[in-house]
Formats: sequence, structure tokens, C-alpha cells
Amino acid sequence: MQDYTNVSVLIVGAGPAGLAAAIALKKQKPDLDVAVIDKAAGPGNHNLSGAVLEAAALSKLLDPVVPNWAESEDAKAVLLSKVDRDDVMFFWGSRMAFKIEAAIKMAKAFRLAFGQMTHRGDYICSVSKLTGWLCKTAVSLGVEVLHGFAAEDILWDADRHIAAGVKLKDQGLDKHGQKQLNYLPGEVIRAKTILIAEGCDGLLAETFTAKAGLVRQSNQLYSLGVKELIRVSDAQYAKFGSGRVVHAMGWPLWTPLVGPAMFGGGIMYPMGNNHIAVGMIVGLDYKYCDFNPQDALTRFKEHAFVRQFIDGGTVVEAGAKMIPEGGLYAVPRCPDTQTIGRSNVMLLGDSAGFVNMCKIKGLHNAIESGIAAAGAVADGLDTPKGLARIYTKRLEEAGVIKEMETAKNFRQTVARFGPLQGMPLSVLGGWLPTFNIEPDYQTMMPAAYRLKPPVTFDKDTFTAVAATEHREEQPCHLTLRDETICTEKCVGKFGAPCITFCPAGVYERIHDQPKPANPSNCLHCKTCQRKCPFDNIRWTVPEPNGGPQYKTM
Amino acid sequence: MSHYIVLVKQVPDVSQITDNAFDPKTGNLIRTRLPSVINELDTQALAFARRMQRLSGNPQEKIIALTMGPPMAADVLRYGLSRCADAAVLLTDRALGGADTWATANPLAYATRKICAELLSGSRDYYIVAGMQSVDGDTAQVPAQMAEELDIPCIAYATEVHHQNGQFTFTRIISGGSQIVEPLTTPAMITVAKYEYPLFASFERTRRANVLPLIQWGADDVKATAVGVAGSKTRVIRVFPPGKTTRKCQQVQTSQELAKIILENAGKNRRKETALTEIKTGYILPAKRTRPFDRSYEGTEKEIEDFQILAAKLNELNITNPAQIDAAIQEKILSDGKIEFHKKALEDMLIGLTQTQPEYTGEVWVMAEVSKDALQAATFELTGKARQLADSLDTHVGVVLAGEGVGPLADELISAGADKVYLIEHPLLKEFDPRSYCKAVSDAFLAYKPQIFLYAATPQGRVLAPMVSYKIGCGLTADCTGLDIRDSSRKGQIAILMQTRPALGGNVMATICTKDSTCQMATARPGVMKRLPADPSRTGQIVKHAVQFTGADLSLRILKTEKAHGAVQFDSEVIISGGKGMQNRDNYDRLLDGLCGTIRNQLGVTVEKGATRTAVEQGFTERIHQVGQTGTAVGPRLYIAIGISGAIQHMIGVAHTETIIAINTDHHAPIFKQCDYYIIGGAENIVPELIAALNNHLNTGH
Repeated sequence: MQDYTNVSVLIVGAGPAGLAAAIALKKQKPDLDVAVIDKAAGPGNHNLSGAVLEAAALSKLLDPVVPNWAESEDAKAVLLSKVDRDDVMFFWGSRMAFKIEAAIKMAKAFRLAFGQMTHRGDYICSVSKLTGWLCKTAVSLGVEVLHGFAAEDILWDADRHIAAGVKLKDQGLDKHGQKQLNYLPGEVIRAKTILIAEGCDGLLAETFTAKAGLVRQSNQLYSLGVKELIRVSDAQYAKFGSGRVVHAMGWPLWTPLVGPAMFGGGIMYPMGNNHIAVGMIVGLDYKYCDFNPQDALTRFKEHAFVRQFIDGGTVVEAGAKMIPEGGLYAVPRCPDTQTIGRSNVMLLGDSAGFVNMCKIKGLHNAIESGIAAAGAVADGLDTPKGLARIYTKRLEEAGVIKEMETAKNFRQTVARFGPLQGMPLSVLGGWLPTFNIEPDYQTMMPAAYRLKPPVTFDKDTFTAVAATEHREEQPCHLTLRDETICTEKCVGKFGAPCITFCPAGVYERIHDQPKPANPSNCLHCKTCQRKCPFDNIRWTVPEPNGGPQYKTM
Repeated sequence: MSHYIVLVKQVPDVSQITDNAFDPKTGNLIRTRLPSVINELDTQALAFARRMQRLSGNPQEKIIALTMGPPMAADVLRYGLSRCADAAVLLTDRALGGADTWATANPLAYATRKICAELLSGSRDYYIVAGMQSVDGDTAQVPAQMAEELDIPCIAYATEVHHQNGQFTFTRIISGGSQIVEPLTTPAMITVAKYEYPLFASFERTRRANVLPLIQWGADDVKATAVGVAGSKTRVIRVFPPGKTTRKCQQVQTSQELAKIILENAGKNRRKETALTEIKTGYILPAKRTRPFDRSYEGTEKEIEDFQILAAKLNELNITNPAQIDAAIQEKILSDGKIEFHKKALEDMLIGLTQTQPEYTGEVWVMAEVSKDALQAATFELTGKARQLADSLDTHVGVVLAGEGVGPLADELISAGADKVYLIEHPLLKEFDPRSYCKAVSDAFLAYKPQIFLYAATPQGRVLAPMVSYKIGCGLTADCTGLDIRDSSRKGQIAILMQTRPALGGNVMATICTKDSTCQMATARPGVMKRLPADPSRTGQIVKHAVQFTGADLSLRILKTEKAHGAVQFDSEVIISGGKGMQNRDNYDRLLDGLCGTIRNQLGVTVEKGATRTAVEQGFTERIHQVGQTGTAVGPRLYIAIGISGAIQHMIGVAHTETIIAINTDHHAPIFKQCDYYIIGGAENIVPELIAALNNHLNTGH
């Protein structure tokens, strides 16, 4: 009988990067057994993005696999429309809005880095839907895509510098960690090669980075994106237009003189059937301890320009997810060989941090990295120890590294000099020296966000439409390293910001102790792990099949 | 070495029902908009079978998953394979489509025989394990009917399994308590009411499940004798949306406000009409009709309208008697430009109008249920309903009373509306054993041949009714909330029992009637029908019916019965129930007693404590306090649900409550959409505040 716990290629994470790798690999090596595992219950459930997608990467992936893919029903259902109107705005206060496209176009003409911030011709899509389509494509090629399996640890041989497999999460423990009658110990999956494509700040990616001794030249910096899908009237949708994307800077994240001063901006994308996605992306290096990115979303939605399109609409879906923004210097590499991964383990997509902040896009690089990893495995599966090296080389050949180069200092410059001075300075791009910026959690101050809305954000409805749930009777997947830090240091100084910034209302003060009281509301965004001012929170993976159930995020 | 055949079913995901799932015009549920999932109780059945396998400690024992359905039902078999099943059988065939429970149980029983012969080497040492019911049908009939077809013991509503000296024993729910029983023979049917530990998919099993070929059989392969629409003994007349919930669903912010609401609602004297039941006028037999063209018809809206148009036209033509209708009249109607009847339809309708002979003859029967030497409330409710049906059918009400030493209860039944009591007494009927009861009841049935036979949809009735119906070859409709006599079919079936019941977790209503049967059988939800005021002056006949029993007529050995002592007053004006959210017995007792006492003393009303099934299971209180589908249905003025999520099985039991108040910490608790007032908060905080606020209000005279 076949040993089903063994697999040649194990891909952890069924998102765009992992599925791209699976598709490209299976196309080249149809007989190779390729398994993709994901902690979500179904395709796309944990995938959230804007999203605008550069078509080139998708063509590169699908052209060899599905002839005329762009004409297929699936493609038409996912790739809603091409961007024909690309509005980059600056919000001056709660009413005024200026277009700053001219500046971007000029930057493009002068080949300055942030000139890449144009989207015309790109596809507007929901990444949950895109993932569903890629999943279907992968399955049709014979890839085993297995949802409901959460990887908890990597079996890393520290002497031989090679991975043997991954261990899955135990299931069936009760709240106190006691075995229930249905206890299922986490299985060990043995694999010749492992592709980690978990998305931003994944547990396995970080565990592997630590175990294999990978190093980031510069700290990873994160943003949190919070997003709502709003059903609007026919008239509002027609007025907005089905091919228009809006990116807005300024208010309520940044206002002149008195502040606030935060990096980020708002987005508006049309998602078909009278639905507009409205989102707010905020750099987690903000300093206001009473700030919640959802407050900025509220303010953004109140802005006269935004309100005209969504007033009276219904929020039908919502979600939150972090974005790794540190760029090329924050990609973990092996200190000896500079490989992105090590031996038979490769880091893909957001797990590596392939987000180009000048384009504010990472999807195309996620797919490119999947193709590169597939190429590496197809070339070198017989010599697994050399896979990460081939992979890194292929990333360079594919232009991923070069593109990341152009944006390598962007986010750090803004972080160092603030949005006002940093944005123009970032024009100098690669000429600036590399600086290491403090991790996001260290930036918290006992300062107040001046534009905090008077009404507390309704997190209950937000998590309800995100449809997040977990099996209640399981050990809490969020841990406090030292509970006394919260009570003795944090509450007095910052007032337990986790309670405020967690978009799902997971944290609550119980008998004066802030704690993850409602872990079943968790959206898996991991903001708490990166923004707790005392680095006191650890996110581990809960039992699989839980978490949000995004459909059109 | 035992083996386990687990019945699994693919159902629409009722929990995903949103407003989007309903047709905005007709209000009907669009079933294709719902994703398909495995029936939740079947996941528990799989876990239960796995538990049995573990307890017996023999890894050679096989678990085989069996389903009947369209090819896509393979998904639920893969679910089983990825958890615990060693093999899976898919019974699929176009010929099997459209089956009712009868035509489902029959092929499944034949498939079981084939599994036994081909996969278990003919071994008779196996258990069939099934979820107690499915969420789409809610009938609980298929397992019991299979057990009858296979002639094997049936242990329904099992909640736990034990293994001692190589023998399995099971805990099952019975009215007002629980029982530990063991089947006297194998194979045996076990239906699982609740088992808290559904299995997780393993990586290894899932990969195997995805490549393992399923065993696929068609109707001919298993040689089933009743399949599909043709083999069914019921048909659906129409499906319609239930009345919109009349619950207010208002959130209350403070305990003070809530106290006020309690004061306002606990003392009111008005009762709302039931939301689930359609109130219909009585039926008049054709021979007694003053308006001969009123057919008291039940069918689609179009058909009902057609009969009204026809009646109006005949009136216009001065026709007063169906005998006057001839070919000329028919031509006149057809040539009327305003009326668009198909010729065939009109012919059928005119034939229908001339029919006067009822389709069925005989009495209207009720099966009595006795617990702790007393008749159950549901028996009186059904007797009241049977009285109404029998009066419009011009026949008698008979009640079957079976047991040991139950004779003295007969007079109560006559007072409650019975004309005859069929008394079957025997020591073997002391406890409810499905086999002996089925034999006793079907014996009496065959001797007297009633036209309607009603049972209470209780743990006992929901096992007995399907077995009797299968044994004597009659259709059965489960859990009815409406029972009316109407004419059916254009051509004229006279005086048919229309059996209306909720389906898909209460999201749709269906009116069903029996076909190809000698009797119309239904179980009715307790607490829905109205009992008549007892009339001790009524007279009736007690008919003793003797049945010969042997030891082989018993299928179970009852090892232990636990029934709560003391009486529970579920006809109280206020009922306060606690659920899993009460956390422990101490909280349940302390908080509920406190609140009960305050309301009782301060308002001078009767108050009783209730509980959910889970709360009982966790040991917060005795089974006798359980409210809901497997407990007691209640209808107080005020129902206060504390720490109760609002599962459909519980809410069914409180549907006839005037005002429902919910206290729960979970913002998403489904009960908030099914109550009148709710407050978000923990019982430990809210209840003491509420008690203080109630005391305060009364002391200050507000």
C-alpha cells in the first residue's frame, strides 16, 4: 500500500504563489507527486488583497497550461475588468480631494521609482476568487490540493542543513490542552522538497527562518490592510465605473502640520455586481496607542469623495490582512549562500516578502516566484540540497530581484523621514544608504490619534461578515509571553493597544488582565504579533478549517 | 468481531441560509443556492462508530460508509473515508430519485444486505450507525424503517456507547429520562442523537480517500423492491414559505430595561396564534355541502384558483347540481374567452366535482404514550385534533393504549375526546421495546383498519410510527404542525389528510399527503395541537385487544432507567431555561433558582425551570427539565433563555411561547434572531442585576 504521508514536493499554502508553483511544476513534470496544503477550509478563504494584477505574470503561468485561458469562463468571472481609469488622489481634510496623477506620470517619465504606481491595463480582481480559479486549474492538472491541514513545524536537520518534512497541528485538544475523544495528533508529512508559500508572517516561514539561520538585512516592516466590500446602488456603481481604481493618500492618515503622520492610504476598486471594495492600508510603524486602522477606514468612508459612491450601501464582506513592506532588504536569506530559502526549502511570495512598494503590488511577484520555484524543482529534484540556489538564480533571471531593487529603500525611507519628506526622498531610491529601521512594535508612543471617530468601530459586524469562526473548544492559539508585562507595563503606559487595534476584537481586559479572550474571532492577520508594543504576543496556528471565509476579498 | 455500516447523507447547508437563498417573488427557498454538506448528525455517527471500534479494540473491524444520492453525494463518502471509513458504498441511480423515506429505507436496507454478503463475508455481527435525523428532512424515519425491513433491533436517540465483557450497551434518550439498553441480537440499528466529538480528517486518510475507488451500485444491483417516486408512499402537494417570524428581535441594553419587559410580559393574558400552524376552517364532506361546487381543495395556488373560477362560472350558468353538467355546458365553459382551461384539465375538474365518496374509510386513531404511569400531554393534544378530524369525517376517534397495567388511564382518554380506547395489555409491554410495540400496534391496526393514525413526534413516537408504517405498508409524514382534511387532485380524491410540516430546519413548509396506502399516518409535534377541555361526562367504549407474545418479540434488554423524580410544571406561565452557557451545575441552580423565586414571589405567577439538551448532558439538571425536540415542547407566556445558543431543535420546542427573552454572551447567537428581546452579556452578571432590578421595580411600585 502506498505511503500517503510521503510526498515528493510539499507546498505549504494554497495561495497565488503556492498554486502557481504547483501548476508550473505539474505542467513540466506530470508524474511528480505534488501536494499543496492549506489551513483554510476551502480555496481562497484566507486570501485577501486589493487587488490589481499585472497580466504578464499570469500569462507566463497560464499560457503553457491553458490555451486561450483569457477567453475561458473562469477567467472572465475572476478577471473582472482592466483598469481604464487610474485615479491617484490626495485627500486634503475630510472634504477636498486632488488628483496627483500628473506627478506620478512625471515620475514615470523620469524613470523614478514611484512612477511605477500606475495600474492602467492591469486586471481588477478578487484574490480569493483568483485563488479559487488557480486551485481548480491545479487540481485539473493532477495536483493534490488539500485544504484543512495546518503546518505547525518544520523538521529541520541542523547538522545536515536539510528539511525532512513538516509536522501538522494537533487537533482535538480541549481548552486546557487535554485530549478529547477525537484527538488527532499532528501527522508528520515527509517531503523531498518544501515550498513555503504561506503568505505574510506565516508561522512555518518564521520557524524555518529561525531554524535554518536565515537572516534579514533589514527588519521586516508591515502594513495592515482592512477592507470592506460594499453593495451600492446602480447609480453609484455606474458613476464610479467598472474599470476605475482609486488610490488616495493624505487624510485621515496624514495631515500637514498637526498630524497625524502615518504611512498608507485608501483604495476603492469596483468588484462587479454593484460591489465596491473600500480599503485602508496603514503602515504598522504608527505611533498612536489609541489608533485602530479601522478608525482610518471609517474616516476614509466619510470623506466626501468616497461617500458619494457608497452612502447607503451595505457591507457584505470584510477582512484584514498584513502586507510585508520591507522590500528586498527584508527578504530572509541564507547568510552563506544568499539564497532565498536553504537547501530543499524555498520561500515564495509574501512568505519571502516580494512586495514592490513602489507599485504597491506583490501578486505578480508571488506568481513569478512560484514559477521560479517550479523551474528549480523541475531542474534539480535529484539534488535537493541545491534547490534554493537554483531558485534564487531563477528569481534573478525572471527579473523579480531587479524589480525589487528599484523599490528597495522606499518603505525604509518613508519610515525614517515620515510620509511628507520620505516620499520625495524615496525618489533617490537606490542611491540612499541602507538603513535598518526599528521593528514596528517599537514605534508605539503614548500619543493619541487626533481624528479618532466618536463612535467605536463595530468589530462584531466586521467579523460577522468576514464569517470567521474556529472550533471553540481548543487551546487558545494566541499566547502572551509574560502576562505581567501587560498589567505592569502596558496598561499604564499605552492602555493595552491590542484591544484597540485588533480588527476582530480578539483582545479584552478580563479582571484587569488584557488577554486574547475571543480567539475564535481571529482573522489570522497577525497584527498583534507585530504591533504589541512589548513584543509580548505570539500567534500560532489554530486547528485548521477555522478562520475567515473570504469569498470576494 | 463487529463491523459498522455508517449511513451518511448529503444535505443543503441549512446554516448558510440567508435572505439571498429565497426567491424574492415566491418566498420559496432556492435549494441550489445552498452549498451541499454532510449532515451534521452523520459526522457524529461516524465518530460514534469509530468510538465503538476503539472500545472493542479490534483494528480488523471494518467501518463502511453508505449513502444514497446523486453522483455528487460521493463527497460525503470521501468525508467518511478521510475520517474513519475503510470502504464506501454509493447507491446512485436515476430510478432512486424523488424517493420519500419509504423508498429510501428500502434500497438502503437491500444495500446493507449486499454489503453484509459481499464486504463482510456474510457476518451478522455488525451495527448500522446513523445520525438520528437529517437537517433537510428532519424525519428520523429512514433508520427505523430500515430496521423494520431488516427485522433488527433499533436503538434510537443514542448518546453514548459502553463496552463491557465483549458486549456493547447504549445510553438512549427516552421521554423524561434516559436508559441504558443492549440489543438482544445483532445486527442492530443505532441512531445517534448527539455525540460531541466529530472526527478530524487525517492527511493520510484524505489522500487515500481522494484516490480510492468507491463501490457504486444502482437500484437493480441491490434488488430493492420500492424505489423512487413510484415506490414512495407520500407525495408533496405544495411547498410554501413559513410565515415570517413574528419575533421582535429587539436588543435591550440594561438589566433595568429587561426587568421592565419581564414585568410587562409575564402577567399578560393574551396568547398569540401559533406561527407555525396555518389555521384552516373545518372540512365538510361532499354529501353535506350546501355549496356543491366548493371542493375544499388543497393543491397548487393555480389549481385552487381554477376551481374558484369554475365555481363562479357554473354559478353564472345557473348550475346548482353537478349532475346538470353535460357536454354542452362543458363547451360553454371552454368557449368563454375569459377562462383559459385546458380541455383535459376542465374534464378532470368536472369529474372531481361529481365525486362524493371519501378515499379512505375507518376511524381516526391516536397512539397513546405513557410515561411514569401517566398519559403524556401530547396524547391529549392528538386526541383533541383527532376529535376535530373525526367530526368532519363523520367517524369515531380511537386511541390505542398499550402497556402493562395501563387500563385505568382509559377513562381519561374518553374524557379527552376518544370514542373508543383499544387497550393492549401485556407484561412484555412494560417498557418501550420497538419490536413488541410495533407488533402490538400493527396487530390492532390490521384488526380494525383505521383511515388515519396519529402519533406524537416524541422519542418513542418517532421510532414506533416509522416501524408500524413500514410493517403495514403505509406512508408516513413526520413532525406535522398542521393536519387538515381536504380534497386533493383535480379528478377528485375526497377527504384526504393534508399533513403540513416544516422542512429544511424550518425554512420551508411542505404539505404532504399519503399515496398507495390503506391508512394515512403522521406524527405531530408535541405542543402544537390543542387539547380539548376534559369532559368527564363523555362516554366511550373500551375495546380489549389481545396479542400473543413470545420472548422473540423483545429486541432489547433494558439495563437501567433513569427518570427524574419530582414533577415538572411545564404548563407554568413563565419558564426560565439554562443552556451550555451556564457553565456548571452550580451556576444553573443558583442563578435560575434566584430568578425563578423572584419572579414567582414578586409577580405571583407560576414559574418552572427548563434546560437545553446540552445542559442536561453536562449534568446541570435532570432530563425531565429538557425543553425542545427531544425534550418537552412548551408554550408559556414568557420564556427566558439564558446561555442558550438557539439550535433549531431547541427553538422548535418553544415556538408557541408568547414572548421570548434571550441572555447570551455571543453576539452572533442564532437565538437573537428568534426571540423578542435580547441582552448581550454573561449570566453571572446579568441575572443578579436582573433580580435586583425586579425587586427594585416592585418595591418602588413601578
